[in-house]
Amino acid sequence: MKLTDIIDTLSLTVVAGDAEREAEGVYAGDFLSRAMSHICADDLWITIMNNVNVIAVASLTDAAAVLLAENVALAPDAVEAAKAKDVTVLSSDKSVYELCAALSRIDGLS
Amino acid sequence: MEEFSLYVLDITMNSVRAGADKIDVTLDDRDGILTFTVADNGCGMTKEQLRRLTDPFFTTRKTRGVGLGVPFLKMLAEQTGGDVRVTSVTAEESPENHGTTLTATFGSDHIDFIPMGDLADTFVTLIQGNPDVDFTFTHRVRNGEVRLSCPELRQILGEGVPLSSFEVLEWIRKYLAEGYAELEK
Repeated sequence: MKLTDIIDTLSLTVVAGDAEREAEGVYAGDFLSRAMSHICADDLWITIMNNVNVIAVASLTDAAAVLLAENVALAPDAVEAAKAKDVTVLSSDKSVYELCAALSRIDGLS
Repeated sequence: MEEFSLYVLDITMNSVRAGADKIDVTLDDRDGILTFTVADNGCGMTKEQLRRLTDPFFTTRKTRGVGLGVPFLKMLAEQTGGDVRVTSVTAEESPENHGTTLTATFGSDHIDFIPMGDLADTFVTLIQGNPDVDFTFTHRVRNGEVRLSCPELRQILGEGVPLSSFEVLEWIRKYLAEGYAELEK
C-alpha cells in the first residue's frame, strides 16, 4: 500500500521525508524499547512519542514511516534527525485508536 | 526495557566495554528520588564523545549506526523529572586516573517510573559474565542498604577461586536475596 494513498485516505500531514515508500503493515505503541523489537521493516508505526529516539528506532527497524497521533509535534532535533536519516514522519489529529480503526478498513495492510 | 534493572545492566556493560576493571554501581532510593551512579576506571570518553552521548545516532559500535543505551536512560530520567550527567577523563589525559562517572536521577514515585525489576539477578549476571572485574554494588533505601563488594569477596576467598564458580555465584545469590528480604521487613 503506497504511503501517498494512506495519506490521502486518512488526511495525514507530512512532517518530514518523502512519501514514496510502501507500507506493508502497522505497529502501534509508545514504549520505544518494545517497539524496537516489534516493528517490522515497512511497517507504518503509530505513536505519541515525539523525541529523537523515535527517529532512531524507526531508522533501526526500517519502518516505512512514523505516524504521530493526537497532533503531537515532533521535537526540533527529531525533525533534523528525520531529514538526515531519511525517515518519513506523518501526523494526524486523530487518536491512535481512531487511526488503527481507519487503517483496518484499508486493504493491503497486515 | 520495562524494568529498571535492565537499564542498570545495559549502562554497567558500557563500563565493561570501556575496559574498566573497577566499577562501582550505586543506587540511592530515598524520599522519592532515585540516584543511579556508575563510576568506572575505563578508557574514558573524549569531549566530542561526551557531547554526542545522548544522541541516538552516535555509537562506538561498528555494525549499526544507532546506540540507544544512554538515550533511553536519559528519556526515562527526563520523563520522571530527573536528568543524566556524565563526567569523563580519557587515558590520554590521565594515564593514572582515568574513567567515566555517570549519574542519573529519577523520580521513583513518578507515575511514569517503571518497576525496579530483579536487581540481585542483574548483579549476579554482571559478576558471572565478568568475573575479573572488581564490582561494588550498593543499593541504599530509606531503611538500610544491600551491598556487595567483589574486591572484599576476593580477599576472603583467596586468589584461586573465580567469582564465576557455581558455589560462589550461589552464595552471592543467597546473600543478596537475604539482604533484600531484610529491607522488606
